[in-house]
This record gives sequence, C-alpha cells and structure tokens, in this order.
Amino acid sequence: MSIYGSAVKKPITTMMVFIAVIVFGLYSLFQLPVDLYPEIEFPAITVITAYPGASANDIEINITQPIEDAVNTVDDLKEITSVSRDNISMVTMEFEYETDLSEAANNVRDALEIAKNQIPDEAEDPMIFKFNISMFPIQMFAITAEASYEGLEKMLEEKIINPLNRVDGIGSIRLIGAPTREVAVELDPRRLEAYNMTIEQIGGILAAENRNTPTGKVEMGEIDYAMRVQGEFNNSDEIANTIIGSFNDQVVYLKDVATVRDSIKEMTKDEKINGKDGVRMMVMKQSGANTVTVSKELTKRLEVLKQNLPGDVEMSLIFDSSEFITSSINNLSQTLMYALIFVVLVVLFFLGRWRATFIIVITIPISLIVSFIYLQISGSSINIISLSALAIAIGMVVDDAIVVLENITKHIERGSSPREAAIYATNEVWLAVIVTTLTIVAVFFPMTFISGMTGILFRQLGWIVTITVVTSTLVAITLTPMLSSKMLRLREKKAKPGRWSYDRTIIPLLDKLDDFYVKSLSWSLTHKKVIILVSTLILGVSVFLATKLQTEFMPQTDESRFSIKIELQSGTRVDKTIEIARQVDKILLTNFPEIELIATSSGADEEGGISSVFESSGSGIINYSVRLVDPEDRDKSIWVIAEEVRLLIKDIPEIIKYNVSTSGGSMMGGNNVDVEIYGYDIDQTTMLANQIADSIRLIKGAREIKISREDEKPELRMEIDREKMAANGMNTTAISSALYNRIEGFTATKFRELGEEYDVVVRFKKEYRNSISAIENIALQKPSGEFVRLGELGEVKEYYSPPNIERKRRERVVKVSSVPYGVSMGSLAAEIQKAINKIDLPREVMIEVGGAYEDQQEGFMDLAMLLGLSLILVYLVMASQFESLKMPFIIMFSIPFAFSGVIIALLITNTTLSIIAGVGAVMLVGIVVKNAIVLVDYINLMRDRGYELSEAIKLSGKSRLRPVLMTALTTILGMLPLAISTGEGSEVWSPMGISVIGGLVASTVITMIIVPVIYMLFAKKGERNKEELVRSKFKFLD
Amino acid sequence: MKSVFIAYNQAHTERINFIFDRLKIKGYTQWDNVSGRGSETGEPHLGTHTWPEQNSAVLTIVEDEQVQELLEAVKKLDEINKDVGIRAFVWNIEQVY
Repeated sequence: MSIYGSAVKKPITTMMVFIAVIVFGLYSLFQLPVDLYPEIEFPAITVITAYPGASANDIEINITQPIEDAVNTVDDLKEITSVSRDNISMVTMEFEYETDLSEAANNVRDALEIAKNQIPDEAEDPMIFKFNISMFPIQMFAITAEASYEGLEKMLEEKIINPLNRVDGIGSIRLIGAPTREVAVELDPRRLEAYNMTIEQIGGILAAENRNTPTGKVEMGEIDYAMRVQGEFNNSDEIANTIIGSFNDQVVYLKDVATVRDSIKEMTKDEKINGKDGVRMMVMKQSGANTVTVSKELTKRLEVLKQNLPGDVEMSLIFDSSEFITSSINNLSQTLMYALIFVVLVVLFFLGRWRATFIIVITIPISLIVSFIYLQISGSSINIISLSALAIAIGMVVDDAIVVLENITKHIERGSSPREAAIYATNEVWLAVIVTTLTIVAVFFPMTFISGMTGILFRQLGWIVTITVVTSTLVAITLTPMLSSKMLRLREKKAKPGRWSYDRTIIPLLDKLDDFYVKSLSWSLTHKKVIILVSTLILGVSVFLATKLQTEFMPQTDESRFSIKIELQSGTRVDKTIEIARQVDKILLTNFPEIELIATSSGADEEGGISSVFESSGSGIINYSVRLVDPEDRDKSIWVIAEEVRLLIKDIPEIIKYNVSTSGGSMMGGNNVDVEIYGYDIDQTTMLANQIADSIRLIKGAREIKISREDEKPELRMEIDREKMAANGMNTTAISSALYNRIEGFTATKFRELGEEYDVVVRFKKEYRNSISAIENIALQKPSGEFVRLGELGEVKEYYSPPNIERKRRERVVKVSSVPYGVSMGSLAAEIQKAINKIDLPREVMIEVGGAYEDQQEGFMDLAMLLGLSLILVYLVMASQFESLKMPFIIMFSIPFAFSGVIIALLITNTTLSIIAGVGAVMLVGIVVKNAIVLVDYINLMRDRGYELSEAIKLSGKSRLRPVLMTALTTILGMLPLAISTGEGSEVWSPMGISVIGGLVASTVITMIIVPVIYMLFAKKGERNKEELVRSKFKFLD
Repeated sequence: MKSVFIAYNQAHTERINFIFDRLKIKGYTQWDNVSGRGSETGEPHLGTHTWPEQNSAVLTIVEDEQVQELLEAVKKLDEINKDVGIRAFVWNIEQVY
C-alpha cells in the first residue's frame, strides 16, 4: 500500500504520528538555548602567568616562550597567540572545532608541568582559564560603596565572586580597581644599615614571630592539655612593636627602622561610575558556553547573593551581552510570526477557502517544528541563522501541499468522493512533488558541507531548510490527503454569490491578471528579438552596477554600547589623567542625552594584576565603557554617535591618541582590517607599523587606526660590571633578587584578622627607591657581611622598551588595525594593500592583511564555490527530472535575472553585500528555478498532450500564473518582515530579506516572460511538429 | 448469462464496489491500475506524467436480466461527471465450467 493510501485509510494513526512529532518538537523547543549565532567560537584556553616586576621583554623570554614551546604539541591545537606585557604573560591557544575543552585543559596542564622547570621561581604558577582573552566579558557591573569601600575586595570576593564562580559556564570573574588591604612595612635603609641589618632579615623575623605552633600534650592530673605557643599578631599595631634585635644593649623595635601602614594598597587607578567611586566586576564565560544561559543563571544567583551585601554597596549593570541576544531573537521571532500571517493571507487570497487554507497552513508549524528536533539533537541553539532559515522555509513548505491540494480539489469538483479523490489525486502528483523538492534540496544540502567560518553559518541554514522542506513534502503526501479526505466537501456553486464574496471580488481580479499576462506573453512570443535584447541589456547594466556594490563580511550591529580609550602623554601623572577624565565625562554627558551609563577607569593598578589582561591600562590611559539607551529610543545610530564623540575628543589638546570602538561582544561582528607585521626586531617593526598607520590615516574612510604594540615606555636597567661584581663576591642572581625585595618588596608573612588573610609586604620606603641616585645608593650585603652600594657594582641607565609584545604562531607580531566608516571593508582593505605596496619592506619582515577582511575573502570564496556546486546539482536534478539536457538550460536562464534583482535591491536600499546577503542570493537559485520548473513542466505537458508550440506556451502561462505567483508571493511576503524589520539585531538579517525579495521579484517577472521565449527559441523543428518526428521513427507503415 | 466488462477511472472504485453490492452481484474479477483511452471523448488515462490518471477494470458474469440494471447504474455514475470516465461492454457467455 502506498504511503498516501495508508495515511488516508488510517487517519488516526496519521494524526498520532504527527502529534508525536509536534510533541517532540515542542519539547526540544523549550530545551533549546538561545544564542546570537551558531557556535562560532573556537574552543580556547588561556594560560596566564604573573611575574610581578618583570618587563615585557623578560616575560617574553622567561615565561611566554617556554610555555609556548611546551604547549605547542598539545593535540588539536590550531593556533597559539600570546601577549607578554609588564608583569604578566598570556598565552592563548585556539583549538579545532569540537575539541573537548576539559580534555584540552588537561593536556595543557601536563605540558605546563614540563615548562615549569624553565620558568623563574619568582613567577607565580601558570593559571589555566577556559576562555579566550580576546573575547568580551558577558556581563560587567559597576559596584559603588561608601562606608564599606575599604573592605570591598574581600567582601565581594567572599560573598559574590566565589559563589558565582560555581555557576556552570563561567570562565572567570574579575574585579577592576578594587582597593586591596595590605600591611606595608616600609623600611628606612639608612637605619637598617646603622643597625647592621638587611631587609631579608626583617622579613625572616616577622615570619618567625607571626606564628601559632602546637608544642605537644601536657598530662596534668587526669586531663590532657594541648599546649601551643600563641605568637600571631592580633592587630597590625603589634607588628610595629616587634622586636627585631638589639644594638648596644638597646632593644630595637620594627617601628625604629620602618613605618607600618595597615591600609589600602597604593592605588594609581581611579574608577568612577557615572562620576562616583566604585569598582567594576567583569564576568567572562568559558569558551563555548552559552551566553544567555550563563547570564540568566548569573542574574538569578546574583539577586540572592546581593542581599548579603551591606546597604551602602550598590551594584548596577554596565552591560549584559545576553540582553542584545535575547532582544534580537525576540525581534526575529516576532518577524517570523508576521511572515506566518502573511503566508496565510496569501494562501487564503488565492484559494479563497478557509478549509483548504487550514489544510495547507498546518504544514507550516509541523515542518518548522521538526527543525527544532534537529537543533536539539545536534546540540545547537535558537539563533539568528536558525530562525532566518525558518523564515526562508515558511514560504516554501506550503508549496508541495498546495500542489497536492489543488489536484485533490480538482477530483472532488469532478464528483469523486473526498476519500478517493485524496488517494488518487495524490497518486498522480506525488512523484512530481518529490522531484521539485529535490531541486530545493540540491541548493541547500551542499551548504552543509562547507567548512570554516562561513560553514558555520551555512551548515545550519542548509540543514534546517533541507529538513523542513523534506518534512513538508512528507506532510504533503500524507497529512494533506488525509485532512482533505476528512475536511473537503464538494462545494455547490452558488447561483448568486454575494456582492463581497470571494467569487465576485478576487476571482475577477485574478482573471484580469491572467488575461493581461497572456496578452503580454503573446506579444513577447512574436517579438522575441526585442525581449532578448532588453534582457541582455538588463544583465549588462546589472553587471556594471555590481561593481558599485560595497562589500563587508558581516553586517555591523548596534549593540547600544561603545568603549573609548584615551591616551595621554606616556607617564602623565594620575591626578592629571583624572582631570582629563572628568572633562571627557562632562563632554559626554552634556552632548549625548542618549547615554545611560558611563564607567570610567583612569590610570593603572600598580602591580598590573590580572585585570590588566582585559584592558591595557597605564598612568596616562583612560578607559570608558558607555551604555546607550535602546536603538528604538534614539534617533542616532551608534556609528553616528561614535563619530561625533571622536570629533569632540579630538579638540582636547592633552589627548594624544583616542579610540572609540563600537564593536560588540560577538566575534562575527568585527569589520576590522588588520595588517599583521611579523618580525623579530622590535624597533624595526614598530617603525614600520607607524609608517603603515600613517599611510592608512590618509585613506578616506579609515577610522580607529590602532597599533597593537603600545607606545614604548621608559624603563631603568641595571647594567652590571662583572669584574666589580666578582671582586665583591656577588652574582647576578643575588643582586637581582636583593633588588626585587627592596624595590618591589616581598610578602614576609600573612596577617590574619577575622578569618581573612592580608599580605604583610616588606620593602623600602618610597623616597629610597624613586630616583636613579636613590637606587644606586641601595646597599647590598656581601657574603662577607659588609655592605656595598649598588652604584659600585654597575650603572643604572634609562632605556625605552615596549610594554607589550604580541606573538602569533610563535613569532613576534604587530597589528595595525582599522575599521571603515562610510566606505566598505573591501575597498578599505584594497586601499590599504595599495598603501603597503608602496612601502619598502625589509627582508626579515613579513606582512599579511587579515582580520575580518581575511574572513570576508574566505567567506566570499566559499560562497562562490557553493554557488557553483548548487548550480551543478540543480542542473543534475533537473536534467534527470526532464530526461533532457536542454530543458535545464532553459530553466536556468532565470537565475541571472535573480542576481540582477539582488544587485538592484541592494543598491536601492543602500545595503552592503555581506555574507548574509550573499547567502540570500545563493538560496535564490533553488527558489527561482522552482518557479521556472513549474512553468516549463507544464509547457512540456501541454506539448505532449498535442497542443501546438505557441498554443501550449500560452495555455501553460495562463494556467501556471497563479501557482507561480502564489509560491513566489509566499516566499516574498515571508521574507518581507525580515527585510523591513528594525530594532536590535535587524542589521544582521535584513540584508538576507532584501536580497531574496529583490531577486525573487525580478526573477518572477522575468521568468514568466523570458523562459517561454527561450523555450520557443530552443524548440527545434522536430519539437514543433511532434507528429512528424514520430512518423519518421516508424517508417515501416509508409 | 452475459459478461460485463467495465473500464473506469480508478477514482470510481468505491462506487463500483457499492453498485455490485447493491445489485447483489457477487462474483467479479478486478484489475487495478490499467491504462487506456476512450474512442471518442475523455482524456487518456495512462498513468504517465502527461496523462497521470489511471483506470481500473472489472469483469463480471451475470444473469441476463441483471445486465440492464447494471448498465443503468453505470450510466448514472457516468452522469455525475462525464470527465471522470467509465464505460461498460457486454458479451455473451458460451459455456461455464
């Protein structure tokens, strides 16, 4: 028994099967996470190693390189990049897709064990984080406090950060600008020398004094007592009163040689939230974790945890990247609903019957829901791509059901019982329905093979459309006949339809349209030359217009936030920096009512903690995070605002460099063109980078020109005279560790209070370590016990060195990046390439133009390949369908006109040709061809039934106009809400809508004229007169 | 005894079965999915892409007096809609086993 026969004969079973599918689909839908794009991040692990006091150069040699060498052989590794900056080394490893992050982390850990021997002892242990430092934090909070400000770090650490770290998917939570309590013991070296003591001895004494030690059990009477020596400091004052020795029979207290300060660690950083004191807390997710899920969980936990904080601590959100995602997805889901409504209206308009409309429309939810099952099984998410795919599918899934239903209706109207009509009518068309579906599959299925960045976008699209369309075909040959057999009735022709009935309003309209079309078709068939000429002209013009198209990789999105980085003269004092910061604050607040929140951070942490990983900071640097109101509530786009900010900031004379960056959290959002300069010689590459940056500045439309290597910073170097050193019995290690203790200081012991530990740091007083002469004056103890001045062992000299050294593929690299404003990324990259070609390159240096531009190039290549593959597959399918090598050509003549439509639509709407718009264009191949197939197939049919060529063409045109218009309109109107939607995230999907609509409108109009004309031209003599042809085959009768 | 051969659009299958039941005609032989075309009117029913519809055929041997009844029923069926297509042909039966 055939599948449709069984379906009609067992309606309950059929219904149950589809209900089961719906239940599964809905279950999956509620389980699915929400994201902006399909998983596009490479799994990444970052190894962060702190080496306080070391310069970027030292870090590179002593830490970064050994780590890079060690992890280089880890399985599935794709690329290593690293940044070595003062105090800290960061090595980021990107892995191949679908690498298990925990396993990779274990491998990295093993590799690091080997590297540990080569890393200096003073360096802290490498920490492994499961995220990519180049990713944006998913949430950032501003925390302000008044009375509790001093204890803020410990409090937040204990009450907020530690519990939150347990949330699944969180990579790391960092505080920026938090005040840290420490007990500073600042020694006066002159007095120390007078007492003949060294700083290391003081440290040793403090460590020895600050101890509680058990000493054993004492048996007294019948009771055992545990005995212990209680020596820990109870309060920080006790530290000052520690006896550190005696001199000339006099007791020497610590306070005699040092000042003890129990307070906040010296800060050179100023954090202001809307102008108030505060700290920032940033939350990074693990690479691969879902932003929305993590954010949701985080927000939920935070609500509870917040209650444990004292009343004066306030937390406010600076940004939450999940907000943009959720509102984009909501926006798109709404669009999808409108698409559904439009499709229903189109079907109703053409069929004019409620029951028939219902039977057809029911295929939409069923087919779409199946795609949720696919998403669930493949572990994907609801995202812009999957939802856009559904929007595309909405218009196509009804097509098969329409064909089946039309035939069933025809049989019923001839008097068959609905049951028999359902079975036999389906029997007549089911094969044709499957073949047209195959052409769609031929376009979309190849998308699932594409690899790389673009592949991630295409793969999901390809699968979803393939799955929904195949499902819709299954529905069309099972559920549609079943429902028709139950619901359709023979409609008695009303003798007098009402004035506003369907029969007297829409039918005449459609009839008029049919007549008009047949008239124009006959005219065209007799004026073939004119038609061919005009269409060649259209093609020529559109090829010319195509060169005017602007290109970019992914459309930019307005995420309602931007960041500003302002650099003053390197080494500017913090107070001056803060003054400028306040000035900029004022400018921003007075000129831009759109601004909702400003978080300012000026200066840098003295020790450059881990937070410096996330934003480069320094004494002359001000970082801003600015949040705007939602796009619906303002007139200006983020790019316009950013440009205005740039113009205003430019006028402040103290500002040397500034960057206003609008790119958001997602990796796909970038539109930067990076020039990567590989070369070992820092001076040479820096000079080259500056030279390139200067020439890029001259290019019109280039903005945000950034050199990734920061400005050189003054540093002091101790140049040791080895002979003198040897004469004094010292060695380099001894000197450097002694200097480290005196200048940077060392943690002698921990002071405990109320269960918390605070570092007791011993170092020289500031005035004994803040000038070259003071440093040369530092006394070191020789092995013999005498003192020797540092100045006697060598010289302290001033040099300049870069504060950060970046590496990629284990080679030093400098990036000069820029973003386009008002021009396309493609043309900017071309201009930059031209500028680079003019520069004489040293032989040791290699230059690559990359960044998002590289992705764009790869993306367009993939797209072109995909287009080629689709065309071939479509041809194959059609050739076998028509059993003809010629027919597919006739049909494929409609494809170029679809592209003309795309080009014109993009130009009219001033949209750039991005990958997204490109995907729309590729999809057209399938959709457009489908329309032409319907027409050509029918012409063939008419010819086989014996009609003369032009008669057959006209008849087919008249008969197929409505179905073609209907399928085209369902797709066009399905995409319309996508194309015209505004609001968050719409920039991403509207180009797809625009290109599909443009292409489909143009190709539908042209298909209906040009395809018949071409058919006529191609039809050979024999085909014009079939009878003769057959006669010549069977000559035996003549 | 006469034999009646009816060739009909397969969309008529249920109705033909009903006619047989109604006229108490018990024995018959039926062929599904046969193709053919009419001599004067109607579309060919060939089961091809060009002519997708198909016929069924039934051969029944009935008593002489039943023939008229049967032909009238077939005629009524045909008159519902001539486009669907049904024809009946009658022969004499010479011998029966």
